[in-house]
Amino acid sequence: MRSLHVAYCAVCELHTMTKSDPRYHRVLVWDFPTRVFHWLLVAATSVAFITGSILPQWWLGVHRGAGYVIVGLLVFRFVWAAFGSEFSRLTNFVYSPSETLDHLRGILLLSPRHYLGHNPAGAAMIFALAFVLCGLVVTGLLTEAGEEKIGPLAGITSYAVGHTAKTIHAILVGILAVMIAAHVAGVIAESLLTRENLVASMITGRKALPERAHLPAPRPPRWRAASASCVVVIGVGALTLALLGRLPPKGVPAAAVNAAYARECGACHSAFHPSLLPAASWQKMLGTLDQHFGEDASLPAPVLAEIAEFLATHAAEAWDTEIGIRFRTVTANGPPQITATPAWLRKHAPLPEAWFARKSVGSKSNCSACHRDAASGRFDDSKIFVPKE
Amino acid sequence: MRKPLTILIALATTMFAGATLADPARDAILAKFAAEAKAADPGFTGFSAARGGAFFRASQTGGSAETPSCTSCHGAAPQDAGKTRANKAIAPMAVSKTPDRFTDSDKVAQWFDRNCKGVAGRVCTPLEKGDFITFMAGQ
Repeated sequence: MRSLHVAYCAVCELHTMTKSDPRYHRVLVWDFPTRVFHWLLVAATSVAFITGSILPQWWLGVHRGAGYVIVGLLVFRFVWAAFGSEFSRLTNFVYSPSETLDHLRGILLLSPRHYLGHNPAGAAMIFALAFVLCGLVVTGLLTEAGEEKIGPLAGITSYAVGHTAKTIHAILVGILAVMIAAHVAGVIAESLLTRENLVASMITGRKALPERAHLPAPRPPRWRAASASCVVVIGVGALTLALLGRLPPKGVPAAAVNAAYARECGACHSAFHPSLLPAASWQKMLGTLDQHFGEDASLPAPVLAEIAEFLATHAAEAWDTEIGIRFRTVTANGPPQITATPAWLRKHAPLPEAWFARKSVGSKSNCSACHRDAASGRFDDSKIFVPKE
Repeated sequence: MRKPLTILIALATTMFAGATLADPARDAILAKFAAEAKAADPGFTGFSAARGGAFFRASQTGGSAETPSCTSCHGAAPQDAGKTRANKAIAPMAVSKTPDRFTDSDKVAQWFDRNCKGVAGRVCTPLEKGDFITFMAGQ
């Protein structure tokens, strides 16, 4: 740890000075990349929060994009913690526990010791934020991989892992929200106590330093080392993820199509993805085709046998997907009907009936009217587009 | 060796009549229904497009309340696409629009079986089926 603040605080006249005091001069604390990083992180985190927690789930594609931006920003910041200019470097803001306690005591007494860079409380917050953000991007990647079976980890992530990751992701969002509130509160409190507008200094990069204070030569950024590290880390990371992404999605059977099924069942309605009902429901349905939702949909025996075998082997139980897992649960003695399953009802209950009556939808059984990827059985949230009419 | 000649004659007839599109497979299906109609009624003299059209548009009782007529799903105009209750498009019934209509005997049997039950609550007679196809072949 460098002793800039010691040299500076030895003066300890800051609290009695005003900004217009000629004894001030302003020094560059936050270099340009750090400032850009900070505000891009604010923007990406805001977008991720709004698209993930407030907007409807078809914004998930944007949410994912924001997540990848955050990954890139974190990579940059870790590299910049090693090669950035003085106050961006990790070694500039690692404090001992006793020093941190001293600082906190100072805050409680409303006269915190002034630090030019990150103060101990701020540094602790930075580490916590970085840790939580890393947790968020990792659990986010695992959620999309396990639940939606997309993204670079889809080939190695089971639904169960993805589902657990989603729970942790949600908890981390809550923790992050509290931390951001504390971070903002801390900035405001520190700004008031030290009469240094910390928000402004994260824009201009400059902070006040009394004229007499001695600022030892700060370490300059090592641009080449930083650039090379970013390229290597992002390159190796992207390559690894791209290679992993080439693996077939885990628990998604290949070639789940059958010509007879598509032709016969698809003649009257969407050829529903076989993972939308458990095998027992399909079997029950095929046994009562002469009374099929008000229609006689009888099939010749050989065709019926072929379709029965296809549905038995590709029913919900055969899939480790969000749909396969959720739609394999049916109400006991309920009708063998996709739109009567608890999973379907839970997801569609909040939607207005008028949506289903729209001309291009027309029926609750018209999955692909809104789910553009219905045929694949993925039902990715980001592939939902509700037609306007 | 007579087949091309038959087709030629059929084509010429079609062009002159401006009405019926011929197809050997469809003709065979019609011939089978004609034989059945003859067996059921010795007084059978031939299929009628007019009767078929009337049957297509008629309101039936005995079937599903939601589908009282062929037109419930197929639409009033045979040249237009219809729509199933699940909102899936049905290719036009008119042979001029969907040339392979009534050329697969299994498909013809399957759909008459299903839809006659759904609309009329009974199987259709060979006469009704023959009239229906004759009507659609001229559309």
